[in-house]
Order: sequence, then C-alpha cells, then structure tokens
Amino acid sequence: MRIGEIVETTSTGFVAESFTLNRPPPLGSLVAVSLPAQDMEIYAVVAYGQTVGLDPGRRAVRRSTEIVFDEAIYHEHPELKHILRTEFGAVLVGYLAEGQVWQHLPPQPPPLHFSVQTVQTGELQRFTDHLLYFRLLLSYNGPVSPLQVLAANVREVYRQRGSDRAWLDAAAREIATLLKNDHEALLTVLYAIDPGEASAIAERRGQL
Amino acid sequence: MPLKLGAVSEQIEHMAQAMVALSPAQEQLLEQAQALLRSTPADALRLKLEQQRQRQVRFPWLVATPHGSLCGIIPAPPAPVDFCVIGIDASSVPPDRHRSVRFYVLNVGYAALTYGRCADAVLDAESQLFFHDEDLYLFPEKRDVPIEGTLLNARMEVESLQTLQKVIQHRAHQPSGERPPTVALRDGPLILWTLQNEPQEVQDKLLHGFLQAMSSLRQSGVPLAGYISYTDSRDVANSLRVWICQELPNECEHCKNSKRDLCLALAKIRDRDLFNFLAIGERSELFASSSQILERYGEHRVDFFYLNIGGEIVRVEVPRWVSADAEWLSLLHAVIYDQSRRSPGFPPYPPALLEAHEQAVITTTERRLIEEMVERALGLHGQWVTRSAKNDSKRRRGI
Repeated sequence: MRIGEIVETTSTGFVAESFTLNRPPPLGSLVAVSLPAQDMEIYAVVAYGQTVGLDPGRRAVRRSTEIVFDEAIYHEHPELKHILRTEFGAVLVGYLAEGQVWQHLPPQPPPLHFSVQTVQTGELQRFTDHLLYFRLLLSYNGPVSPLQVLAANVREVYRQRGSDRAWLDAAAREIATLLKNDHEALLTVLYAIDPGEASAIAERRGQL
Repeated sequence: MPLKLGAVSEQIEHMAQAMVALSPAQEQLLEQAQALLRSTPADALRLKLEQQRQRQVRFPWLVATPHGSLCGIIPAPPAPVDFCVIGIDASSVPPDRHRSVRFYVLNVGYAALTYGRCADAVLDAESQLFFHDEDLYLFPEKRDVPIEGTLLNARMEVESLQTLQKVIQHRAHQPSGERPPTVALRDGPLILWTLQNEPQEVQDKLLHGFLQAMSSLRQSGVPLAGYISYTDSRDVANSLRVWICQELPNECEHCKNSKRDLCLALAKIRDRDLFNFLAIGERSELFASSSQILERYGEHRVDFFYLNIGGEIVRVEVPRWVSADAEWLSLLHAVIYDQSRRSPGFPPYPPALLEAHEQAVITTTERRLIEEMVERALGLHGQWVTRSAKNDSKRRRGI
C-alpha cells in the first residue's frame, strides 16, 4: 500500500510526505520503495515523523476552545488539511535485487517523488531473518536517537512477526553484541524492547 | 549604515511623549463625538447632506449618508449550519521599466472554505503573465497609458473578481444539495477610489470589467463584501462635521462657528474609534459612501457598515444589491462574525482571507525565479534581456 511520496533523498535515507495527515507510519516500521526499472526493492526503517505547516514560515497556533478541541478542530477549520503536512524520515537498511536480500546501503538513493509503501508480512519476515541491518540503524543520525529507532524497530518487527519470541531473543543477542562496549546504551535498548515480561529482562540482564 | 539611527531614535522618543500627552485629550474628544453621534437625528442629517449635494456644494472630505439611525446596533445573527466562504486576494509582479522586456504577472489566490456537515476546503491560485500590447497599455493602438501603479492595482481588482466568478461558476456545477449558502469576501475596499483622479476614458476601461464581474456575481446569487481591517476612514465623523457646520463645509478658514473646536476635533477621529461602543459581533447600521467614483457604479453603488469582530472594528463594504437584501446582509454579517471566531489569531482576521492571501502572495524567491525564467526563455531564442544602467549598477553595487 502506498503511504507517502519521497520529497528529500540521500544515500543514507529519505524524507517522505505522508498521504495521511497526523499519521505517519509507526516509528521503527519497515517500509519499501519499488524501482521496477531496476527490478529492485529498497528497504528503510521509519526513524521519525512530524506534522508541520506546509509553509515553513507559518507556525501552528492554538485553535482549541472550550467546546472545540482535538478532532473537532479539523472539522471547524477545514483549511488545516490543506496547509499542514505530515512527513516521516526513514533510514536505508538494505534492498532486494536479483532475488537476494542485501543488508547494506543501496548503490543509489531512492528517486525523488517515488512512492513509499508498506511491507507485507512475508517480505518483512524474509528481510528481518537477518539482523545485519541493526548496524545501519545504529549509525543513523537524526532527530530521534538511534537507540530508540533500533528499539522501535525491534518492537514493530516482533509484533508484525506475530510475537516471534525466538526472533526477539536473537535480536536482543545481536544488540548485546553491538553494544557490548556501552552498558548504558545496551540497557536503554533492552528496556525499550521489553515485551512486558519483567522477568525476561531480569533474565537477560543475568546473562550479560 | 547611512541611516542615522541616533537622530531617529531621539525623534521616536519625542513622538512617544507627544502621543502619551495627547491621549487623555483624545479620550475626551471621542466622548464628545460619540455624544454627538447619539444626538444627531439621522433624517435631518440625510436631508442636510442631500440639500448641500443639490446645491452642488463640494465637500472637502468623504461623507457618509446614513440609511438608518446613526448609532443603531444590530447584533450578529446566527450563522447557518452549512455555509461556504470564498476569500479572494491578489498580488503582482509589476512591469519594470528598467528592463528591455515589458511584462507583468498577476496572481489571484482564493480559499473556498465550506463549513458544516460537508466541511471542506479548496485553496488555490490563478497565475497569469501579461505581455501583449493590449495587456500592457490601456490604449494599445496608440501604446498609450501603460498599465502600472494605480492602474495595475485596478487591473488586479478586475482579475480578482473575474477569478472569483470562475470559482463560483465551477461550484455551480455541483449538485444543488451540495451547495450551501455562499458569501464572497475580498480583501480591501470595493470602492476603486484610486481611479478617481484618472481621466474618464481610463475609468471607463477599468471599471467596465470590474462592474461586469460584479453583475455576474449578482446573477450567481453570491453576496460580495470588501473587508477592510484597521480602517482609516472617517466618513461618519465627517458627516457629523457637516451636521454641526453652519457655513459651507469648504470654507473652514473663515469659520466663526461656536462648535469650531469640536469640528476640528472630529477631523482627528476615525470611524473605527467612533464606533467602539459596538459589542463583539454587533454591527452599525448601513451608510452610503459619497466617493465620487461611485457615480459610475450604477446598481453596484457601495454601502458600508462597521462591525466589531472582537479586538477590532472593521469596515465592510457591500454593493447596493447586497445591502438592499436583508437576507444576504444578515448572512454576510453572520458569516463574517463566524469567521472572526474561527480565526487563529487575535485580533481576528477571516481565515478565508488569510488563506487567500497565502495563496496570492508572490515571494522574493518566486519573483527572482520569474525573472530568471523570462531571461532563459528569451536567451534560448537568441534575445538577451538588457537592463538600464541604473538598475544594473544597483544590482552590482561595486565598490
């Protein structure tokens, strides 16, 4: 499903304008850009989202009243949907070419104005079976800390893979390897990927 | 930095002191003026203005003839559940006489905001570049009267109304059930008073298109209003001066009237201050403008009223076919007040006009881009744009 259009692109990531106001794709989710001419699919992880004025010179101001607030504001001010834009940034994590998945930067940045699409479960499973792309996520430099982007990605993938516990354990081990020299950073990620079972965290801490 | 800020700053301080010293006196004068507004019988004032007009007394100032009482108050009626406001605004890239190629660009922005059950918005602009002789000169066959300055502004007003008409016509193709009551707002006056000093044939040329567009709007069933924020007009205050004047209003230097001081005080009072007794949402009664150019407006002669939109008294100008229709007038009043309540800022400003302005505005970058595009297009055809030495030296600013 098409969810946005690329409005800025570089070798390491892109910014896309979301088709839905105020609803960028979830932080950490895997998205794709199709390049049929090259028979290539570029994968990226959503690293931040924001809603701002279409004109960078116009700042949003308070619109709510005692009786008009939240969603009703958009009904009372129909112009808002035309003067606001939601955009999201994504970090490139790999690509599919000649039937093979590669977890390194694609040879070229995805083209400007191309569509950003959601990734089907099968495709997501195939891509995330390998975890080398975590390294690219950790080298990301943007408004959200790379640790939080990585953690958000782990949470999203875990959910989309149907609460795949074996995958989560593998992910945690990979993260432990990558962050072995930074104990605080490691704990930050592990706490953030905790699926809600406190004992699992304690258990993992014990193993470290 | 050649501007001597030190000297200016000293003068700014003097100005501030003078204004502060004047404030209590101004307050008193305003009270006197408002008392006069309340005590002046509208019928008698109307009669006096009419008599003087018949005697062809030329008023030195613009005066307003009241349609109703002078200090009447009309509260805001409720806005309909479903309605649409179309705001229109325009801007231009004027012709540059320092450039070898002559052209101008008009950009008319509009915002059609629909409220209620089918809330929606259409924000867009119509941009056009004009370069033919018939666009550049009012009398192209003689290449006479170039369209620039005041005339370009008038041309822009004509273009605005024509664009507005197109937007309304486009909406007319929608099923009637989806067409709620609609009003059109223009940023600025409907009285093209800047044309007043132009020769009659110039006025004829420009007013023809403007009035024709107004006729089309009337046929479309959409009331039109000109919205003037922070109005400087003194028409009603001037009428009060005529009322207390016992001589001829154009012979002030020989005046021996006992109310001379009050008359001179009235000259300093703006209508927006005079009508500051209006509560939020309330409007004044209607007044007819005496602007000379209106003699040529026919059925579109302009009336106006003042309206407190909360934080500001604005002047709203309407053609006679709107002011004579109680239902349209009431719809306009309700919708403008409703717009003020939806305004994101304070003092409020109608969102339809704000968004129309945003669509109309041409940024400095865009202006430069147009210039570059013209130069490139001509260059591709082997013709280079030359500039005057003055313009060129200002651009280079060599040391």
